Amino acid sequence: MKAVRSLLDKLYTVPQLARFKPVIGAADAILYGTNETTHAAPHVVDNIDIKRYMSLVIVALLPAVAAAFFLFGWRVIAIIMVSYMAGGAVEVIFAIIRKHDIHEGFLITGLIFPLVLPPTTPLWVVAVGVVFGTMFGKEMFGGTGRNIFNPALVGRLFITIAFPAIMTMNWQTPFASGPEAITTATPLTTFKSTAQTSTINPSVVEAGTEQVLFTNAGAVKKATQNPQSEFAGVQVYCMGDAAYEKAAHHRRIEEGKASRLVSYGDLLIGKEPGSMGETCRLAILAGGLLLIGLRVSNWRIPVSYMTTVFIFAAVGSHFLPAKIAPPMFQVLAGGLLFGAMFMATDPITSPFTKAGKYIFGISCGVLTVLIRSFSGYVEGVMFSIVIMNAFTPLIDQMVLMFKYRPVKA
Amino acid sequence: MTPIKNRGFHGGYRFRNFEASPLDKLAAAGVPSKVTISLMQGFSDEVACLVQPGVQVKAGQIIGRDDERVSSPVHASVNGKVVKIEKLEYLGSEVAAVTISSDGTDGWQALQGYSARWDSLTAEQIETLIYLSGASGAGRSGIPTRFKSSIISCDDVEEVIIHGVESEMYGPLSGALLTGDCLSKFADGVKILRKMLPKAGFHVAMNAERESLIAGVSDALSGNDWVEVCGLQSRYPADYDEVLVSTVLGRSVPAGHLAAHIGVIVLDIRDVLSVYEAVVEGKPVIERTVALCGPGFTENPHVRVRIGTPLEHVIGGNLRADKAWRFLRNSALTGERFLEMTQTIDRNCDAVIAVHENDGREMFAFVQPGPRKDSYTPTFLSAILGGKLTKRGETNLHGEERPCISCGFCEEVCPAGLIPHHLFHYVERNIIDETLLRFKIYDCIDCNLCAYVCPSKITLGRHIKSGKDKLINEGLTCPRPPFALKGTGTQKD
Repeated sequence: MKAVRSLLDKLYTVPQLARFKPVIGAADAILYGTNETTHAAPHVVDNIDIKRYMSLVIVALLPAVAAAFFLFGWRVIAIIMVSYMAGGAVEVIFAIIRKHDIHEGFLITGLIFPLVLPPTTPLWVVAVGVVFGTMFGKEMFGGTGRNIFNPALVGRLFITIAFPAIMTMNWQTPFASGPEAITTATPLTTFKSTAQTSTINPSVVEAGTEQVLFTNAGAVKKATQNPQSEFAGVQVYCMGDAAYEKAAHHRRIEEGKASRLVSYGDLLIGKEPGSMGETCRLAILAGGLLLIGLRVSNWRIPVSYMTTVFIFAAVGSHFLPAKIAPPMFQVLAGGLLFGAMFMATDPITSPFTKAGKYIFGISCGVLTVLIRSFSGYVEGVMFSIVIMNAFTPLIDQMVLMFKYRPVKA
Repeated sequence: MTPIKNRGFHGGYRFRNFEASPLDKLAAAGVPSKVTISLMQGFSDEVACLVQPGVQVKAGQIIGRDDERVSSPVHASVNGKVVKIEKLEYLGSEVAAVTISSDGTDGWQALQGYSARWDSLTAEQIETLIYLSGASGAGRSGIPTRFKSSIISCDDVEEVIIHGVESEMYGPLSGALLTGDCLSKFADGVKILRKMLPKAGFHVAMNAERESLIAGVSDALSGNDWVEVCGLQSRYPADYDEVLVSTVLGRSVPAGHLAAHIGVIVLDIRDVLSVYEAVVEGKPVIERTVALCGPGFTENPHVRVRIGTPLEHVIGGNLRADKAWRFLRNSALTGERFLEMTQTIDRNCDAVIAVHENDGREMFAFVQPGPRKDSYTPTFLSAILGGKLTKRGETNLHGEERPCISCGFCEEVCPAGLIPHHLFHYVERNIIDETLLRFKIYDCIDCNLCAYVCPSKITLGRHIKSGKDKLINEGLTCPRPPFALKGTGTQKD
């Protein structure tokens, strides 16, 4: 290791490399740690630093990465590598221009970004997205600590809008390869396209079939029990019922990839199509809980976010079953868990006040359900977090104004 | 038996089991060949010098006294001859200091009028003894006597808090100070103070987990309904005046003011022992018990040191030679650095800390498991090991300075309920105006815990302090609370 040390020391002194000092410095700091000491009180300081802090987020993401690899294969690794290389290049260029150290934040952006992409995303789109996200989501605002929006989400949003066909139409079914593995439907899409038809349009519901797919089914179930109704006698499975789970599982095996039934169990372990890192909910939960346990991320936002989605969906699906999906389905489907655990909790782009964190989480939850149910998009997690990112400074200001309001004597 | 009080103390951090913490052992450092005694000791004003170079002095003889300014007398701490009187740097200002070369004898001159039967003394006699011994210069605002020894008068004292709370990373052990007959001396000291301040309520606070100590103190003070013994949680900064006032009394010290301003005197165990020694033994404050903490020392005893003893004499041969050490005064979080070995121990010094000046690099430091690394976050192995392995006390920064990411650790630990990183953003951008006042910058008690926990290695405490200084320069001083303060001379009616 002495050779590496002396090589690094030599590199610092090469005049042609003076510009690349941030790169050498970063390599040095990663390999050898710092030799700086405290200048004045406090003379002894905590052992944690941003490198460890950020590394732990990566550690927490590893279960999701492993699951993605397991479900979608080597392509996952290729996408992550492209993301790191392209994003890292932007970070390095800006560090050189700004003459500051390379900040560790991009290690997270570079990993979170690929995990929210469909596994079929072409590599050049990955590169475009991560470059855009890092540049316009972070560096334009002045770099780490000053960005308003989550850079990974900015990149994801950009390519969703720029390449809608690629980003919304090609989903790969886990454990599958070849052209027939590509489906256009994630569970959320399926709900959106079938919920109305199966509950409102009677022609879809034919007697003797198991056509009723996605509904919280209160209305439909009632209808089937009414002998006068045209739904009479239809076999209905309610989502969340044990009978439904069983039927769904059974049909999935029978029908293979074409099945449009969703089982909660399959959602949890990641057998449904979706973005690379967001399908295996168990892995996300494990990583998210680890971060909360280590105090690296705060529990307030994920808890308030998911609780709000659950409550809003429970109430909403009772009154508008055709529009709003049932609560457990909402929590488990799509990118909610991943977004709540890893993106909404980004400390830089979410409020720092405690009350602000609750406001942020609740607002994200409401927006997510609204966008999922009433907009042209099937998924609302990304949009709601980005929208609330924009409101973050305002939320903090309002909370501080209230907290530090002048006390009338 | 004794309730654990935990009112109003939010945040804080418990420093557990750092290596080479002081032992329950008392030793004497002996008489040094030379002492340099500053004429400003502790909080008080500089006193007028009463000796000239060349004169012979006795240990215990008053060499500086000023009855016009808030101060207590300063004594020669050794028998010998005054060598020189010069201006020296003392905690940021130039102060006259008397250097005495010792003749090596360890006797001292007793005060006039002390009595082993202290209960036969009148309150006035006690006051005089406490003042003349210098024991009145204790704490952050002194013990009030008829002489100007405190910013407030005896009548203003409503409550007295005496604490032996250990919450620092490195600091003296209360148990070591109260061994043997010191416990009964301590109890008598409390009673003497009560005789002098008959209207005040007394509270003795110790760490809740020091159960035997609490039991011992309660025993020694039993039968007195004016004193309460309570156990406190040992989270830093539980021993700060502001925190003690809120946890023990449930009151709050107005921002930017002293506990004395609301009639509360905060003393520690040593202050009470000095009171006892002054009144019962006639011994002036010529000695101080100092804890030698940290891995720099081969042994970590508490040593009795004459005031003005140079650091090199205190340390003697008790130093490990294998590493470079940084010597700190009183606290690893807020203390000043001893820059030279000739700097001296003063009355307010209760610990000398030697931590490893660690400018060495560590391979892959940020991914090390860290069984001996302390952290507020449970991200190191040390968190799982609990206190099984001692934690390293060293000065490495453990990372590079980075922009604030609003992780919120500083807010979580702030005992004053502030949002340090938010204040830091204003001070850093040099926005020095009413906004800082609105966000209660003056509530900061300078405990530096925010800077300790910061993963971005931002010196938050220093920034907040400079913010306060700049505010004062702008004329935006701390607003007075809407009630009358004691000892400010301009009380509202």
